[in-house]
Amino acid sequence: MPEALKRKKKDGTRYTRPPEIEAWLEKIEKIEPLDRLRRFEGFSKRASGYVPSEALVYFLRKAWAEGARAEFEKIFRILLRRVEQSLNSAISDARMDGAAEIRDEVRGRFLELITKDCNEKPDLLDFFEIRFDKALVAIRTSVLRKIGPSTVKTVPLEQHNDDDGSEISDEVETASTEFLGGNPSKLDDPAFRSALAAAIDGLPVEQKRVISLLLEGFPIDSKERDVMTIAHILQCDERTVRNRRDRAYKALKVILQEENAQ
Amino acid sequence: MTAKHVAISEEEVLLAFAVEPIHDHQTLERYLGEYPEHANALVDCSIELMVDATRSDEVSLNSEAVVDQAWQQFQAAVGKPVDGSAVNPFATLNPTAFKSLAKKLNINNLLLIRLRDRAIDAATIPRRFVQGLAAELGAPADAVMAYLCSPPAMVSGHSFRSAVKPAVTEQISFEKAVEASHLTQAQHDALKALKD
Repeated sequence: MPEALKRKKKDGTRYTRPPEIEAWLEKIEKIEPLDRLRRFEGFSKRASGYVPSEALVYFLRKAWAEGARAEFEKIFRILLRRVEQSLNSAISDARMDGAAEIRDEVRGRFLELITKDCNEKPDLLDFFEIRFDKALVAIRTSVLRKIGPSTVKTVPLEQHNDDDGSEISDEVETASTEFLGGNPSKLDDPAFRSALAAAIDGLPVEQKRVISLLLEGFPIDSKERDVMTIAHILQCDERTVRNRRDRAYKALKVILQEENAQ
Repeated sequence: MTAKHVAISEEEVLLAFAVEPIHDHQTLERYLGEYPEHANALVDCSIELMVDATRSDEVSLNSEAVVDQAWQQFQAAVGKPVDGSAVNPFATLNPTAFKSLAKKLNINNLLLIRLRDRAIDAATIPRRFVQGLAAELGAPADAVMAYLCSPPAMVSGHSFRSAVKPAVTEQISFEKAVEASHLTQAQHDALKALKD
């Protein structure tokens, strides 16, 4: 039986791994260490027999606890190669300035978590046994907030800083209502979603937040006090939210039209 | 504020949010409601998760040099060579056990941290003190001495920061460490009495 996670949720119950990860652990635990290590080698997630990184973290911690140093080093190296692959894809030089430094920082933070786990037995690595890639996204977000560029490289249009200025033109307002509003089912199309995600990623951070919250279905403002609104979440005036939205829509429309034309 | 309220770091909140099985309106709203102080971070994380869902990791990459460097950094920071010749006897102590060990040795946490991080020249530590430390740790005195004699550790939390070149603390003598650790006069005198 794989050892349970130690990390507790806010309600006091323990975190658990998803059933498919538990199944992997049970399956791999029965295999001899040498054979197990060979199975860990795969890099391509599409390859059959690819062992998920969540399982690698479990066996990494197990190897350390049992003093199996050679096994620990091998799993460490495989895991770091996977992290590197993920970081080079997520924080590519093409996506943002200073990408190499940001990758260093995320890798460094991940190493810190492993080291602390080995030295002091805290439980933050538990998150990596639940959903490894997503936990890495959390670390990435945290690092980007500290040292990342405020916008990525692909900002498409001239940006304005007068968020709180006068209302922008009717033309933009119309454009924004046309965007998605006319055809929300477009969001179900994976190609459109991918293009949209890339386009949103290219927006200035303030506009990016507004668009992301709109896509999640949050209202800009509301007369009902207990409704969570974008203006409340972002702690700004609802007119500021609308202006950011309209500028973002205008930029997104241009990018997506260009995308479609290609 | 109630005594039960425990501050949770931005990173911990983001990790908890990121590993949720679904990232829909309800999940985000729940986290925004529970951690309004981390609202921007949560929204930023939900954007990164959205961008992440549409990309592929299939980049061809030769990462051996980076992985080698990461392994060396890890070894230096963990203070535990792979051959196990100098096992860190402090490794299994949680913060409470660490404090309790300091109390049993009649020293404070600061001096114990200096010992743990090998910021003190092992040759200057009184033998009787090492024996007492080993007895409390439940480890052979030789093993504890071997650990204390190995190279000083990098300060945890700064070891991997790329902006700062990783560096180890220069070791000081036991006597100097005792003087600089804000011990009480009684603790000071007791340690002096242990001198070889």
